[in-house]
Amino acid sequence: MRLSDTLLRSGRNLRQAKARTLLTALAIGVGAFALTLTLAASNGAQGFVNKIIADNFDPSELIVTKDNSLFGKTDTSKPQVYDDSYVATTSRAGATTQVKQLTNDDITKIQAIKGVEEVRKDLSISLQYITRPGQKKYIGTVNAFSPSQNPDLVAGKLVKPLKNDSILVPEAFVSALGFKNDNQAVGQELTLAVRKPFDQAILEQALQQGGAVNDAKLQQLDQQSTYTKTFTIAAVLKKPTTVQPGTELDMYINAADADTLNDVATQGTASYHRYTIVYARINNGKDKAVLKAAQQRITKAGYSTQSVEDTEAFLTQIITVLRGIVAAFGAIAVIASVFGVVNTMYISVLQRTREIGLMKALGMPKRDVGRLFKVEAAWIGFLGGALGSLLAFAVGTALNPWITKKLDFGGQRLLIFRLPQVVVLIVALMLVAIFAGLLPARKAAKLDPIEALRTE
Amino acid sequence: MIEVKAVSKIYGKKQSAFTALDDVSFTVPTGATVAIIGKSGSGKSTLMHIMSGLDHPNSGEVVVDGQVLQHLKRKAMDRFRATEMSFIFQAFFVEGSQTAYQNVALPLEIAEIRRRRKLIRQALEQVDLLDKINERANNLSGGQKQRLAIARAIVNKPKLIFADEPTGNLDSVTGDKIIKLLFDLNKSIGNTLCVVTHDEELATRCQIRITLKDGHVVDIKDTTKAKRGSAHATK
Repeated sequence: MRLSDTLLRSGRNLRQAKARTLLTALAIGVGAFALTLTLAASNGAQGFVNKIIADNFDPSELIVTKDNSLFGKTDTSKPQVYDDSYVATTSRAGATTQVKQLTNDDITKIQAIKGVEEVRKDLSISLQYITRPGQKKYIGTVNAFSPSQNPDLVAGKLVKPLKNDSILVPEAFVSALGFKNDNQAVGQELTLAVRKPFDQAILEQALQQGGAVNDAKLQQLDQQSTYTKTFTIAAVLKKPTTVQPGTELDMYINAADADTLNDVATQGTASYHRYTIVYARINNGKDKAVLKAAQQRITKAGYSTQSVEDTEAFLTQIITVLRGIVAAFGAIAVIASVFGVVNTMYISVLQRTREIGLMKALGMPKRDVGRLFKVEAAWIGFLGGALGSLLAFAVGTALNPWITKKLDFGGQRLLIFRLPQVVVLIVALMLVAIFAGLLPARKAAKLDPIEALRTE
Repeated sequence: MIEVKAVSKIYGKKQSAFTALDDVSFTVPTGATVAIIGKSGSGKSTLMHIMSGLDHPNSGEVVVDGQVLQHLKRKAMDRFRATEMSFIFQAFFVEGSQTAYQNVALPLEIAEIRRRRKLIRQALEQVDLLDKINERANNLSGGQKQRLAIARAIVNKPKLIFADEPTGNLDSVTGDKIIKLLFDLNKSIGNTLCVVTHDEELATRCQIRITLKDGHVVDIKDTTKAKRGSAHATK
């Protein structure tokens, strides 16, 4: 029997037993539903990760540090032996780790490594405050803007590289600093204040000049230790998608200005001209092989490196685990439904014993009889897969705006449905159903036509 | 031509062995009508199964147009049954939920024949059911169902048609019509018709009558013998 005839005949058989077919297909549909949503959610999560990467990293850049303790290689649950050559820093997560820092000599050395086009410091300065005349003072953090960042703007224009004395501020500061609206803020001036380290020399000078140090004197010294600089708002940032929580309100200035502020803030301390992280941009670094080679050279020179891909892998890890869990539940549902298919197909064979007998008597080969039932099982798999994924699509599309809003995905949709994936899923379910139909199909193929046609 | 040569069939083993057919031999010329007559348990159904290759004899062989059925491989046997022979059953075995067209299409689908519409219409026309072509078999009367089964049996133009008690489930008037149809088709198509029956009236209309009792051929009446001299019994 030709495949087209087999398809039509088995399809007709299913239509005869509508309720049974539908119920069996629904069992597969439950699995298909879970798997389709899992795929869609992991697509969305992957898209979210990709957006974070694209917004914050340049794929041709490598993150370079002095040692690998920054990449989570230190066990912070055990006391760590103090090392003179380290500078203790507190990470944002709150754990104190010793991090060896890079000096300007290191930067020069990295710059000289073959393939390195440019070295950029990762500067993040905690401000004493940010304000403008007649407004409250706010605390804040300002970072060196990387040309590879592509933040979404609500007002103003992004000129790369950022001009001197210009600043990008997040939207939340617009009303806090007393601007009427986002557009009005653009071009206006802001004052950034950085606290100079409490200078031992000044303190000693003050002690020599006039006896005891009282609170008033200290306050005066305090004021002297504040450094201020005026910036012009170049653009207002939409709430960004960022790697780390708590950095949503960070402001951005260009590398030179950040250097100035950082030097002021660290002068006279152990952190002066010491950098935890620098970014090394690699010539033609978009080519993964080139990037890998440069990464090896930098590592050989005694530094630790991490590429965007490494970061991505780290971020994707959690997604992969979650995806695995949901996929496992879906797979269990599919496995459970296999027994339903086996049962249904056995009933189908039983109900059509005579028809099978007749077909065999009329010279239908065993193989074709078996195939008739395998195709019937495949139909059930197809129906279940199509039903489940269609339902998932409907539910997902209906809930997507709500979920996205609740999770605050930064303009990314959580559920992204991809047709090729759904097609592959349905085909896979058809194969599973065919597998489930193997035994009943075998039973049908082996049926003795004489027995099957006995009327007495 | 069908030659049945010393066919024996034994069911079971040793003490419980039961001889269904014992050294049965006869010859049927092409285009003839044969009735295999006997009470139930006489072995007539078993003989039909062996003649159609559905069952295997313990000894002896069946030769159809020079082909020894017992020598055919399963695939060739399937092919042979799909193209050379067909069946009509007492209980019709038409698929009630399918249309007349779909029922008649089955042998053609099995034989992988394309361009079926014309053949199907022809077959339905021969049994006078063309107006029911798209009717579900469930909506047909008993006689119509058997006519549908006959259409299914003749659609692939077989050389050999087996009919197992074709009138057994029908009233006498309808049965007569079916018998007339079978014999008319035998004349117009020229196929060999082998009827298994205990219906005397049906049997008497056949050219060759083979009577079975307890697995033995007890009588052969051959009205073709005078002309052809080819059908004879060996005891």
